[in-house]
Amino acid sequence: MTTLKAAAPTAPLRWRTVDIVVAAVLAVAGGVIFAIIGWTHHLLDPLFAGFPPSSGLTTGLWIFPGVLAGLVVRRPGAALFVELVAAVLEALLGSSFGATTLVSGVLQGLGAELGIALAGRYRRFGLDVGLLSGALAGLACGLNDSFLMRWYPEYPTSWLWAYTAFCTLSALVFGALMWWLTRGLAATGVLSAVRSRGAHRETVSGR
Amino acid sequence: MSAVRVDSLPDAAGSRPADASPAAGPRGAASDAVEAGGAAAKGVTSGGASIRLAGFGVTPAGREQPVLAGLDVSVEPGEIVLLAGPSGAGKSTLLQALAGLLQPDEEPAAEDAAAHGVRLLGELSISGPAGRVPGTGLVQQDPETQVVLSRIGDDVAFGAENLGVEPEQIWLRVRAALASVGLGDFPLNHPTAALSGGQKQRLAIAGLLAMRPGLWLLDEPTANLDPDGARELRSVVLRTAREAGATVVLVEHRLDLWVDPEDGTPGVDRLLVLGTRDDGRDEQQGGGPAGVIADGVPARLLGDDEVVASLTAAGVWVPGVRPRLADRPFAPGSTGAPLLTALGLGASRQALPRRRAARRRVTPAVTGVDRTRTEGEAVCLLGRNGAGKTALALTLAGLARAAAGRVRAEELLRAGARWDEPERFSARELVTRIGMVFQDPEHQFVTRSVREELAFSPRRAGVEADVVQARVSGLLQRLHLEQVADANPYTLSGGQQRRLSVGTALAAQPRLLVLDEPTFGQDAITWADLVTLLREQVRAGTAIVAVTHDEAFAQALDARRVLVQDGRAQEVAA
Repeated sequence: MTTLKAAAPTAPLRWRTVDIVVAAVLAVAGGVIFAIIGWTHHLLDPLFAGFPPSSGLTTGLWIFPGVLAGLVVRRPGAALFVELVAAVLEALLGSSFGATTLVSGVLQGLGAELGIALAGRYRRFGLDVGLLSGALAGLACGLNDSFLMRWYPEYPTSWLWAYTAFCTLSALVFGALMWWLTRGLAATGVLSAVRSRGAHRETVSGR
Repeated sequence: MSAVRVDSLPDAAGSRPADASPAAGPRGAASDAVEAGGAAAKGVTSGGASIRLAGFGVTPAGREQPVLAGLDVSVEPGEIVLLAGPSGAGKSTLLQALAGLLQPDEEPAAEDAAAHGVRLLGELSISGPAGRVPGTGLVQQDPETQVVLSRIGDDVAFGAENLGVEPEQIWLRVRAALASVGLGDFPLNHPTAALSGGQKQRLAIAGLLAMRPGLWLLDEPTANLDPDGARELRSVVLRTAREAGATVVLVEHRLDLWVDPEDGTPGVDRLLVLGTRDDGRDEQQGGGPAGVIADGVPARLLGDDEVVASLTAAGVWVPGVRPRLADRPFAPGSTGAPLLTALGLGASRQALPRRRAARRRVTPAVTGVDRTRTEGEAVCLLGRNGAGKTALALTLAGLARAAAGRVRAEELLRAGARWDEPERFSARELVTRIGMVFQDPEHQFVTRSVREELAFSPRRAGVEADVVQARVSGLLQRLHLEQVADANPYTLSGGQQRRLSVGTALAAQPRLLVLDEPTFGQDAITWADLVTLLREQVRAGTAIVAVTHDEAFAQALDARRVLVQDGRAQEVAA
């Protein structure tokens, strides 16, 4: 005989089924968006012809699901999980980057996760948390592309650092956007099942 | 369709169905699917779950008042329980709690108390036999949200696959389950997108059957089905659940179907009725749960006049009792002035190209409709699920292109519009002439509050602000939505959403109102409210075209009946 009880609320850091479901939905949506951007992002290349490292400004498009998941689900590991699963899905859907998306996913996810952990310790999810989460994800992306994957062997070192800076800047802006998006979602009531349900009533600092 | 774990995540062992052993032998061949279904069901020896609630209650996220409180109920293994009660009594919430879908969150800091998650009060325990957590299958109100895959075979297999059932077993179960719910004639790769609402509901139940759970939770499983389909499905549920020994908790507004099946099979074992204080109105404020107001063997409860009176007052559809309407006698407001004429009209579920010549390749679901609709007239489109009623309604409403023939808006309806065909009306022209209420209210909500939702179409149609204001306040009052005027439409109960969706169509004061299943999911009280509101419209000269399975609704509106069958639409006698 197994008996289950309507027990006390979950501990703050514990994942519930609904958290997994929400994270999975964000990850799938992110993966599909990644694949679409992956197929089309070269259309933007002419914009960056003047100074090629400025292509780092598109980085926000690659890191937003992780940051958003961290701010919406508010459980440790959500940002990493979503960024990684989205990257896996992107690779499965067919990406010109192949399996390297997995490395990118892990590093960008770790950056986003680290930002959320450091800035708010999973207790506060204010604008600063979104900014730091985005910035660190972008920094991870820039360093990975420049120095680990070496996507741009033709760049001089100064350009590589410029590229990394552009990545960070773009992701920083997207971090703020994700904070704003979370508040908008919370205001509609769709987040009532997750920890961010009251995000629209929080102050800018997340209190 | 999750295992019931209220306090923690489901783990792999816990979510396995009690019976994962081979049940139907090699004899259960695909060619003999119905028999395989019977054999498969008999092979289940696991039995049902038992449920015990002690002082149980639920407070939804962000709300102060519980929607369920102080429930003390036990359900024995294999019992089939019909859970009834007015809109807002917490029936669906209880079902979700039993399914383990309500998991509390940690409490927020005191200064942000309004951001609390769902709260569970008291104790809920669900026990399976033989020391296992019983598998749980949940079928919810809205069939549209339950389709997970693009082919029917895969969709039915999904639950069983996630429970780790042996692959060859899964496909035997899938065929048997599809045959049981009357979808056995479709190939396994039939696209789920091509199913009608009622067929999707049967598909969801097939998915549950294939999982063989010990606890079945069904939330108005027949509300969307035609009368024949509903009876058929009812018999399938009762028979297969009894054979499997499963425990069933079933929410339905209409008791007659389940309490006393006319085919002689025994109905549900037990009737459990939840109430609200103040008879189900204003369920968000003031009302609040009143706990169990009746519990027992259906025949005995319904034989007791006092119980019947209290159930009727609570909005429960008691067999043989029609809701009382405030405005009897009712006379339609027909002046005979024509509004809309169908000329050899054909309707299709597919989206059609703008060019008429290119539409010829399409085989319409309904063809050859020639009829004129006049002011103050109500028409009900009847017919089986999948007959093309919704397609015809959408075409008449100008939201779908005609597959053949045309719809002509007569002078009174056209009222200066550039074209005389509704399908060529601009959005602004359409909304002030023809109002559409969709089968699923959530499909038509576009704003963030009830008040804005009601103001949306008249504002778009260019109505002056103070007139809009007056209409909105009038509608809020008539629809009993004043208390939730600032709530998000998606957070309303099913009954409230339906009233709001009708209200949004009325707000632009169209001459023709097209409604798709308007009374779906309504308790007797909200049903009467809705009918009264529509009668006012008809009396004032609005014409109504309603897709419905609800005979009482057709009678209450004194509607002409058009039967959509085998691709034709024919007027039939009441």
